[in-house]
Amino acid sequence: MPTPPTTTTADRRQLLKTTGLGFGACALNWMLHQESKAATKPQDLHLKPRKPHFPARAKAVVMLLQNGGPSQMDLFDPKPALTAGAGRVYREKVEMFQPGSEQNQLLASPWTFSQHGESGMTFSNALPHLPRVADHLCMVRSMHSEHNNHTEGLVMITSGKIFPGRPTLGSWICYGLGTINQNLPAYVVLRDPQGYPSTGSTLWQNGWLPAIYRGTQVRTEGPPVLNLTPAQALPAGARDDDLAFLAELNQTHRRNYPHNRQLESRIRNYELAARMQLEATSALDLTKETQQTRSLYGMDDEVTRGYGTRLLMARRMVEAGVRFVHVFLNGAPWDSHANVKDEIAKISTQTDRPTAGFIQDLAQRGLLEDTIVLWTGEFGRLPVSQNGKGRDHNRNGFTALLAGGGFRPGHIHGATDDVGYRATEDPVSVPDLFATILHQLGLDHDELTYHHHGRDETLTDSPVSGATVVDQLLA
Amino acid sequence: MLLPPSLFRLSTTWAYLVWLWLTSSALHAGEIPPDPTPVNFERDVRPLLRAHCMSCHGLEKRAGDLDLRTLPLLLRGGTAGPAILPGSAARSLLYRKVAAGSMPPKDELPLTSAQIATLRRWLDTAAPPVPSEPATIIPIDAADRSHWAFVPPQRTPPPAPHNVTDARTVIDHFLLSRLEAAGLSFSAPADRPALLRRLALDLTGLPPTPDTVRAFLRDRSPSAYEQLVDHLLASPHFGQKWGRHWLDASGYVDTIGDDTDATIAKVAPGKWRYREYVIDAHNQDMPFDHFVREQVAGDEMSDWREADQLTPDMLRQLIATTFLRSAADETLQNELNTADMRHEVLARTMEVTIHNLLGLTIQCARCHDHKYDPLPQHDYYRLLACFTPAFDPQSWLQPAEREIADIAPKEKSQRVAHNKDRNRQIATVRQAIIAIQTPHRNRIRTDKLNGLPASIRGDVEKATRTPPDKQDAIQKYLAMKLGTILAVSDAEVAVAFTATERATVNRLQAEISTFQSQLKTWGTIQSVYDTNTSPQTYLLSRGDHLQPRSVVEPGMLRVLTNAIDVDSHQPFPTPAATSGRRTTLAHWLTDSNSPASGLLTRVVVNRVWQQLFGRGIVETSDNFGVMGSLPDHPQLLDYLAVDFRDAGWRYKRLLQQLVSTAAYRQTSVPPAQPPTKDPENRLLWRMRLRQLDSEVLRDSVLALSGQLDRSFGGPPIATTPRPDGYVRIDPGRLQRPADAYRRSLYLLQRRRYHESFLEAFGQPELTKNCTQRTATAVVGQSLTLINDQFMFEQSLALARRLLHENQGQSLAAHVVMAFQMILARMPDTTERRVSFEFVERHSQRYQTQPNLKYPPLTHALRHLCHMLLCTNEFLYTP
Repeated sequence: MPTPPTTTTADRRQLLKTTGLGFGACALNWMLHQESKAATKPQDLHLKPRKPHFPARAKAVVMLLQNGGPSQMDLFDPKPALTAGAGRVYREKVEMFQPGSEQNQLLASPWTFSQHGESGMTFSNALPHLPRVADHLCMVRSMHSEHNNHTEGLVMITSGKIFPGRPTLGSWICYGLGTINQNLPAYVVLRDPQGYPSTGSTLWQNGWLPAIYRGTQVRTEGPPVLNLTPAQALPAGARDDDLAFLAELNQTHRRNYPHNRQLESRIRNYELAARMQLEATSALDLTKETQQTRSLYGMDDEVTRGYGTRLLMARRMVEAGVRFVHVFLNGAPWDSHANVKDEIAKISTQTDRPTAGFIQDLAQRGLLEDTIVLWTGEFGRLPVSQNGKGRDHNRNGFTALLAGGGFRPGHIHGATDDVGYRATEDPVSVPDLFATILHQLGLDHDELTYHHHGRDETLTDSPVSGATVVDQLLA
Repeated sequence: MLLPPSLFRLSTTWAYLVWLWLTSSALHAGEIPPDPTPVNFERDVRPLLRAHCMSCHGLEKRAGDLDLRTLPLLLRGGTAGPAILPGSAARSLLYRKVAAGSMPPKDELPLTSAQIATLRRWLDTAAPPVPSEPATIIPIDAADRSHWAFVPPQRTPPPAPHNVTDARTVIDHFLLSRLEAAGLSFSAPADRPALLRRLALDLTGLPPTPDTVRAFLRDRSPSAYEQLVDHLLASPHFGQKWGRHWLDASGYVDTIGDDTDATIAKVAPGKWRYREYVIDAHNQDMPFDHFVREQVAGDEMSDWREADQLTPDMLRQLIATTFLRSAADETLQNELNTADMRHEVLARTMEVTIHNLLGLTIQCARCHDHKYDPLPQHDYYRLLACFTPAFDPQSWLQPAEREIADIAPKEKSQRVAHNKDRNRQIATVRQAIIAIQTPHRNRIRTDKLNGLPASIRGDVEKATRTPPDKQDAIQKYLAMKLGTILAVSDAEVAVAFTATERATVNRLQAEISTFQSQLKTWGTIQSVYDTNTSPQTYLLSRGDHLQPRSVVEPGMLRVLTNAIDVDSHQPFPTPAATSGRRTTLAHWLTDSNSPASGLLTRVVVNRVWQQLFGRGIVETSDNFGVMGSLPDHPQLLDYLAVDFRDAGWRYKRLLQQLVSTAAYRQTSVPPAQPPTKDPENRLLWRMRLRQLDSEVLRDSVLALSGQLDRSFGGPPIATTPRPDGYVRIDPGRLQRPADAYRRSLYLLQRRRYHESFLEAFGQPELTKNCTQRTATAVVGQSLTLINDQFMFEQSLALARRLLHENQGQSLAAHVVMAFQMILARMPDTTERRVSFEFVERHSQRYQTQPNLKYPPLTHALRHLCHMLLCTNEFLYTP
């Protein structure tokens, strides 16, 4: 049996399987919630907020996935040895992924570094805005992962292991804690309307957890959820008439099967569709935001508008009580194989200002207190040059940023070797990071289990991964 | 020196003795000043070997039969002898090669002098290998074999229920006895319309046609039901419905990689022919044991490599092995064609096969002995060794390299030679044509050039004659701007021909056409065959391919073998020079006296039961191990399994038996006063309501609207993820418009990114395989039904069809017909009235709408049809 923090009745798993809602964290729960308020019959509310294992420091997570593999030695982790040794053959043959790095020659960063904030945290000039929030950030320079390909790396940074098929961090969190606002999805995915991130919807899959824990794509343009509105315009009153008629037909059938809860859910789902339309639309209405706020997120600039809109929407979601917001970039924009100057400049110009604005805004509104922001790629990049000016993938060392939710602000954790190839000091694995995030949400990563194929599965699989909570990251 | 395998099995002991013998006569290491820090193999040496040597020796290849992954393997060495002699770098082959610079080869990064020194220091000071006892293999005892699923099924005499008249078949006796013991009995038979709809959906995945409804409801003969069953089992749609279940269980997809990118579907050419194979096998009622044998080892059933032509049997059996190509194979990407991925594909292939056929969670034993089931890690690798010849990580074929032609290799060589010949002839004739064209072309070009201003003429001429990669910026510009003006088309040249020339060119072109028509083509299939008939399979410590331990000989799961001497692996003779290991596996799975076949039949009949009754006799149909659930009716399960096997493994017969039971034919509607016992209906005192599978739902809607295209076979219908978030059939890539309305199993099968309508209704994500679909009532389904474009289009088509077929009839008659078509029953009085009023209200509403494409009544009936398609009644098999 699954053991979420407060285990409920024995048929919970069955219920989740059969009456699960996709978007509708929302719908059924809203309905059931109303029912329970109306003191009709007690129901097992499967996405209702659940008590954590122990008191939590944070209640929501925003994961800003930087797909492609941001270059640690060009953004956060300055390496004088790279500058001094540029062009020299590195002593250790590095693990390449694509061709182009056979010469094993060190590449100096074309960017310059400076220290910021009271903490003196280091950033390169590729990120002119982020330093503004340096004292809110906890920088982990000693991240490492397990595969050098985007797909495996991305699947790992979202689900803890390299192969697709397992539930993601967001799914586990919603499974463990339910969600706060029953009128919105528990797990919201905000991807670039221009395209999927590389590896696509695999990154917000529920794996073998029930379908209600899958990420729901919410679009920033048009109807926020698929089929929320009729595909064809209908005459006034026609839809109401349709639904009333349908309800009547269904009632006849329903009377034959009084104990079938799935049939009941379906009937309610139709009634709720209209309410959802209103709920989702108003929660996502950004027109009420001030010009100042919009500008903070870079929505006044064509280049930053797209990412800024998604981040502002992420804030609205967190404010509205969404448990997990997953923000994606189109394709693999940090994948700087050809030129770490131009390629990094292109994507940082689109994301740096909105990211800084987002963290600043959360802090100003007091939301950062109990919201964890995670900024990370699936891996980092190599110290040696690829095709002259680029860098290939590097699973052995990269930098992740955390903010809020009790993560230690202004802290730099761990280190890579002299050229930034391997995490050497206080290395943090992806499962370690996940264990620590769950811990801040009041969840013990070894206790949050789900029985699947004869095994009590966990997100971190610590008997194999050795995952532990990294106390040094915590305030 | 090539070590005989028997010697290698004792490698560490042997190496120790060799070491003692060699070092006793060769102690000369004192010349080198000792370094204080001892060199550690794992920390200092293995990473060097991994970075510089292993990709050819142990990971992606085994060049010189040398594998450098572990110390014992280094001691074993390859064709040139042991790679190292601990205690002496100078006498270690590995060191000599590296120090001399002959290894690694030139295109690899050489080791630095410091790294070479590390190697030297390690070898000079390394301790002698410690002899270790071979790992003990956990014995399997009688208690392990006593788990119910591992005991061969026994046919027990059916019990005698009290009210034997309630039973229609022996199967009912088993069910009824338990019901009676609980004070229950079967419910009344379902009414004929419900029964008809149930049967049609279950056996063909399509609703009954109005003609079938009318005929069946009129047919009062006692054998009407039996005749209907026979009729539906004989329908070619049967194979589409039941083939779909098998495709789920085997994890079939049209793509080959992990299929994670939305916009890139890597479709494997000809893989769909396996889908056709499955449908045909079901329609022809191929005995299931043979069906399994063909899929597991069809390539070993004939000597197709040496055949002059492939017989239909050979071709079918080769296509059948696509069964073993369902695991995601990332090695299609060159960067992922690495040892770790190859091992992963091999392991996945075995795991998905065993999960599907034996219902075991074998994957647990990849890294350690299974925690619950008697499946030791050693047994995992024994079984894996059966798959290694076809998927040997050290002699790997990437997906494209695995593809073979659907003709015999010999025939293919002949056709290639023939085509080469024709192409050469075509080229010769082309040259003859060019020879005639060239003078004209040059003259016309000169004329055109002369038309340009004299000042730039020379530069343009030079620019256009310079190859693009040699052009400077100005030349590029000139070539781009004026190149097309100077270009001379064939048509311009043709105008200039003399009559004789024209005749000649026409004749030559006709010759080309003739030659072209003589070019031969062939199809591609995705088969599995041995790439190395005697590979080594190692037990991998913690499943890590970098940590191979002992060599494991091929064998079966010991808990499912009755032989005491489990290591006596005797390959079955095969007609060709293959390893025969999968043939042995296939026989182990299907031979009547093999305990594995007992489990296989249980798993299979249980899954069929699950499809028909909504729940397996074993509820965990994907886990028959110790942690799985116990069968609700163990004796019935055994009865069915034994009967299935003894009567020739026939699916159709099994289905015919099951749908003939009183259990299947009873109503799903509970009585007004339902029994207080067994409220979950575990004992089947009434039929279970079952949600339609996504494909059945979409196909049913299309069938009712009249738009279903009932053609069979062919490559998958392309779907595409659109910017607005929907995945739809790609109208731009349809061979013919009607393909948009083919049955759903012909749509492109991906691991994810299913067509949005199918996705909403639970088309499973196929990361691996799916033996049980989960019925969900997510709100997205309701939104899809009431709002999706497909539903609007299809309900309009349905309304128009209804009006056409019911021409001249009254509105009341239309209402009746809509119910008959969609729900396969007559509306009751209330339903007639509210439906009538509903249509009238909509008609009036549409009277006032401007620019209507159809009369208001059509629109109003469209609403009626649409809402009937949204009813719970329609979404469930009654």
